[in-house]
Amino acid sequence: MTTKKHTFHVSGTHCASCKILIEDILGEQDFVGKVEVNLKKETVEIETESEKSIEEIADLLTSKIKANGYALSVEKIIKAKEDVIWKALPIGLAFLLLFFILQKSGILNLGLGGEITPLAGFLIGLIASVSSCLAIVGGLVLSLSAKISEDNVNDTKTFLFFHFGRLFSFAILGGILGVVGNAIGINFTFTAILGILASLVMLFLGLNLLGLFSRNKITLPAGIFNFFRKIEHKTLTPLIIGFGTFFLPCGFTQSMQIVALSSGSFGAGAVLMFSFALGTLPMLLLLSFGSASFAHSKHAPLFFKSAGVIVVGLGLFALLGGLAGLGIINPLFNI
Amino acid sequence: MNKTVLIIITLGLVVVMGIIFSGTLEQQSVSNVEIKDGVQYITINAKGGYFPALSNAQAGIPTKLIIQTNNTFDCSSALVIRSAGFQEILPQTGKTEIDLGTPKAGEPIQGVCGMGMYSFKINFL
Repeated sequence: MTTKKHTFHVSGTHCASCKILIEDILGEQDFVGKVEVNLKKETVEIETESEKSIEEIADLLTSKIKANGYALSVEKIIKAKEDVIWKALPIGLAFLLLFFILQKSGILNLGLGGEITPLAGFLIGLIASVSSCLAIVGGLVLSLSAKISEDNVNDTKTFLFFHFGRLFSFAILGGILGVVGNAIGINFTFTAILGILASLVMLFLGLNLLGLFSRNKITLPAGIFNFFRKIEHKTLTPLIIGFGTFFLPCGFTQSMQIVALSSGSFGAGAVLMFSFALGTLPMLLLLSFGSASFAHSKHAPLFFKSAGVIVVGLGLFALLGGLAGLGIINPLFNI
Repeated sequence: MNKTVLIIITLGLVVVMGIIFSGTLEQQSVSNVEIKDGVQYITINAKGGYFPALSNAQAGIPTKLIIQTNNTFDCSSALVIRSAGFQEILPQTGKTEIDLGTPKAGEPIQGVCGMGMYSFKINFL
């Protein structure tokens, strides 16, 4: 008997531990000698004494690791992936276009005359959640939600923490604004820098969702990635991000902060900001739980790619806007 | 679906998006510049953008910019004018007067909202 070496393409390897798992399972097969998984190239190299054809071995081994979500093939499967991105591009662009047209049309600029009551705050929140603020807060929520669902963490809990943290911190910070009567969250340079950071996170996650660089292919910023992975699993992280959205640049949020500021009491400021955050909640809930339900359906690959296109688009928009707001570049658009 | 069809749709969407973004600055036909008692007043409305987005005014005279807001909650209420050192959140409804000093010819003044999505420009001739 002669020992032969076969190389297969493997799909479904989304984590570093996949290498160990695949090597374990395949190594247990009695006709398989040495197994070597290369995550970077997405290949599996095995030594075998079996006389079967390479296709038969691929099928046989796939049946062992299929339950874990992996598959081996002789030819690299790229066609399917390409098709998905071509479907995802027009879908993502269509959503972006819809958003920009809605924004440009001016129907979101409706007036709410008179005093700002909590109800008016709620309505302003509703409008804000589909307008310019969607670019930054919504884009961030969509990218984080899709990323979390992709990683199959307990996403419902994470989302609830985020939204709860957001409502809670808006109320508290609104109350503080009412008492202090002083601008804490409205330093322009601070919010602009925060916005640019958020847009960079969006771009990073968006490109990641598009699969332009995925976890096991990433080489350079491995440290950054591990950091992301670590904080992604902490209970506090979604709470803190929810808290942070208070300071993100969004004209509506900042206007409401001014209203809360002039309200003069903790209670009034808290109720105003809370009702505003409540108004933004339906859209953001839809984004996070919508992406979770898509992520667990058979349309998942298409969803992740489309979300990637949308998030990259909004990220670019927010980044260019943020740079213009800081005076670093000339404003490129009026929308 | 056919890949070619999808590519054509994609290109079409990109073109439409390009048209939306490349919209030129609208210039108001009615003049928004008036000179009273030797002071030049430029009025700009801020709501869902700045109107007019492009104004022409005279250089060499004391100039004040008046920003009018009317139930403005969107980005245009968060105004930054770097060259005048102005950074403020405008009241939801009201008039805000900003002193531009005595502008020099050929040095336009640009205002942009906090998120950078709306802007206006005043040329001094």
